[in-house]
Amino acid sequence: MSDRAGGGPLPPELLRELRASVRALRGELEQRFGIRDTGEPVPEPLDEERGDDTRAPSVGFLEGLAQRVRAQLDDVDVVKLYEAVRARVSIPGAGDISAEVDEFGLDESYLARARGWLDWLFDSWWRVRVTGIELVPDAERVLFVANSAGILPWDALMVAHAVERLHPSRRRPRPLVADWLATLPFSQSRLARMGAVRACAENAERLLLSGQWVIAFPEGQKGSLKPFRERYRLQRFARGGFVPLAARLDAAIVPVAIVGAEETYPVLFEPRALRRLLGVPVPITPTFPLLGPLGIVPLPSQWRIRFGAPIRFDAAARERSRDPLFVNRTREQVRGLIQALLEEELPRRRSIFS
Amino acid sequence: MPDTGRVSARRAPRSVDSRPTVAITGLGTFTGARIAERLLEQDPPPRVVGIDLRLPRRLEGRLRHHRVDLTEPTADSMVAEILEKERCETVLHAAFFTDPHPDLEYSHELEVVGSLHVMNAAAASGVRKLVVTSSAQVYGPHPDNPNFLSEDHALRPQRDSHALRDRAEVESLLRIFAQRHRAIAVTSLRPCWIVGPSYESALTRRFESARVVTLLGYDPLLQFLHESDWLDAVELALERDAPGAFNLAGDGVLPLSTLLRLAGKRALPLPHPLLYRVGHLESIARTGDPPAALLDYLRFLWVVDTRRAREELGFDPVYTTKEAWMSFVVARKLRGYR
Repeated sequence: MSDRAGGGPLPPELLRELRASVRALRGELEQRFGIRDTGEPVPEPLDEERGDDTRAPSVGFLEGLAQRVRAQLDDVDVVKLYEAVRARVSIPGAGDISAEVDEFGLDESYLARARGWLDWLFDSWWRVRVTGIELVPDAERVLFVANSAGILPWDALMVAHAVERLHPSRRRPRPLVADWLATLPFSQSRLARMGAVRACAENAERLLLSGQWVIAFPEGQKGSLKPFRERYRLQRFARGGFVPLAARLDAAIVPVAIVGAEETYPVLFEPRALRRLLGVPVPITPTFPLLGPLGIVPLPSQWRIRFGAPIRFDAAARERSRDPLFVNRTREQVRGLIQALLEEELPRRRSIFS
Repeated sequence: MPDTGRVSARRAPRSVDSRPTVAITGLGTFTGARIAERLLEQDPPPRVVGIDLRLPRRLEGRLRHHRVDLTEPTADSMVAEILEKERCETVLHAAFFTDPHPDLEYSHELEVVGSLHVMNAAAASGVRKLVVTSSAQVYGPHPDNPNFLSEDHALRPQRDSHALRDRAEVESLLRIFAQRHRAIAVTSLRPCWIVGPSYESALTRRFESARVVTLLGYDPLLQFLHESDWLDAVELALERDAPGAFNLAGDGVLPLSTLLRLAGKRALPLPHPLLYRVGHLESIARTGDPPAALLDYLRFLWVVDTRRAREELGFDPVYTTKEAWMSFVVARKLRGYR
C-alpha cells in the first residue's frame, strides 16, 4: 500500500498523527469488541520496523477481520436489530397487517405504524397549523364538512390526524373518500386500513350510528380535480346528503377549511378524453405524469386547518330533514361558512410555502 | 307419471300422517342433500319428499323420491300433482348450479324456467312456504357499492355473467310471485361465499392452490359463510315464517391479503387488464361464463349486511368469517396428507 501511495514520502508530522489515530482505533476495537490484535495490520505500511510482523502468514488481514466480525455478528440479535430499524422507519408496509380489521377495514396495527409517518407529514412536510379545534364539541356524533383538494386524499388523513392529536376526546374521525379511488389500484386498500371509507350515505349513516365521527367532502370529485386557477373556490356541493343525515341522527356539523392542500397537486388540466379512455380521471400536474411515480409525491406546501363553530339541529329542523328546500338552504349555508373560513385563512399566509 | 318407487309403497300405509311434509328440489346439490339428511335426523323427522332427476345414493330408501325434470315444458303440473298428493306444506327449491354451467341454454332453462315451474306448482297446490337458495352474488361487485349491502339494494349482476343474471331474474320473479300470492311465505336466502370442509365450488377450487392469483393493487374486504351455518340458516328458514330476502354471512370482514396470510398461501398479483383478457379467452374456449366475472369480486366492494337475517330469521352464525376461512383451509390441508 505504501508503495502505491503515490508522490513522495509523507511528511513526518502527518505520519505521527496517523500512527496515533490508528493506535487509538485499535484500542477502541479491543475495548469494544474484545479483538486481540495480533495482526498489527493497519499500521504495517506506515511503520519503519516492518521486520517484526507477527501475523500468521496464512490469515490475511481482511480474512482475519472478517472472522472477527463474524464472531461478533453471532452475538447480534438480528430480530432486535430489525425491530430497531423498523421503529425508526414508520411507513407502514406488508409486515404491519394484523389479523383483525373493523367492519370498514380499519387495521389498528397498520394505523399504529402509520401514525409516526403521519406525524412527520403533519409536522415537517406540511407544517400544519390548526386553529379552532376547541370549537369541536365533544358530542356523540360529529360530522365534519371540509373543502376537498388534492387528488389523493391527504387532506382527509391530515384532518383526521389533527382531530386525533389535538382534540381532548382523542377520537379519530373516519374520512369519507371519493368513489373513484376505489377503482384506483394500490390506494383503496391502504386508505381503508388507515380508516378511510367510501363516500356514500349508507356508509356515513352506519359510521355515525356506531358512534364514530365522520369527515365528509361534499364537493366530491369536482373538488379534487378542479383546475389550479379555481383553487379555494368551493365547487357545488353534490347532493348534500350530509344535511338530512346530520339532522336525522342529531349530529353536529363542524365546517372545516383546509388551506394548503390545493397546492399539493396543482392540477393544470384534466383531459376528458383520457378519462374516457382509461376509466379513471387522469389529472395533469407539473410533476405528473412527467416524472412518473415521483409525480405522486405531494408538494410540501404549508397547511392551515381551521375548524368553525358547529351547527346543531333542533327538533324543528329534524322534522324538516326531508324538506328539499330546507336541505338545500342548510347546505348552501354550510358552504358559505367554509368559504368564509377559507377567505379568512388565505391572507394569513405569506406564500404557499410559509 | 313420475315413478314413486318402492319407498313410497312401503310408506304408503302411513299416508294419514299429521307430520309436516317438506319437499326438496335439487337433491343432487350440496344444500338439497345435506338438508334432506338433517331433516331426516330430526326427532321426530318430518316427511321429506325429494323432487329431482336422480336420488343420491346416500339418501336411497330414506325419503320419497319423485323423478321430475324441471326443464320439461309440463314440469309445473307434474310438481303440482306431487305436492298436492304428498300434502306438502313447505318447499325448498335448491335446484341451482353451484358454479356457472357451460351450457348457457340449459342453465337458463333449469334456473329460471325451472324456478318458475316450482313457483307455479307451489301456488297451485296449497303450499304455505317456499324457500329458495339464492346467492348474495346477485348484488354484484361494484366500485360504487356501499360497504354493507342491505336486502333492499338494487341487484346488479355483471353484464357478462349469465349465471348471475339468471339468478337475479329468479329473484325478481320471486318478488312478483310473493306479491301475487300473499298466503305463501316466500323466503329467498342470499348467502355470501360458502366455505367449509366439504363444500366445493369454483371459488374454493380457486383458493385451494398454494399460490392464489390476485389483482395487482387491489385488496378487497371479503366475507365468508361456513357451510354448517348455511345449513342452519336454511333449516331456520324452513321452520319459521320469515318472508323476504335475507343476506347471510359470517361476522366480520377481512382483506384478501390477510386471509391469504392466515392461510399461509402466497398471493400472485397480476395486472387486472391482463387477467380480464385471459378470462375472456377462457370463456371463448369453454363457451361458458367468463371466469373474468369472478375477478370483479377480488377487486371491488361486495360485503353484505346480515342484520335483517339476525333479527327476523334468528340467524346466529357460529363461525366468523375468519373461522369459516380457517376451517376451510385446515380441512383442505389435512386432505393433502394421505
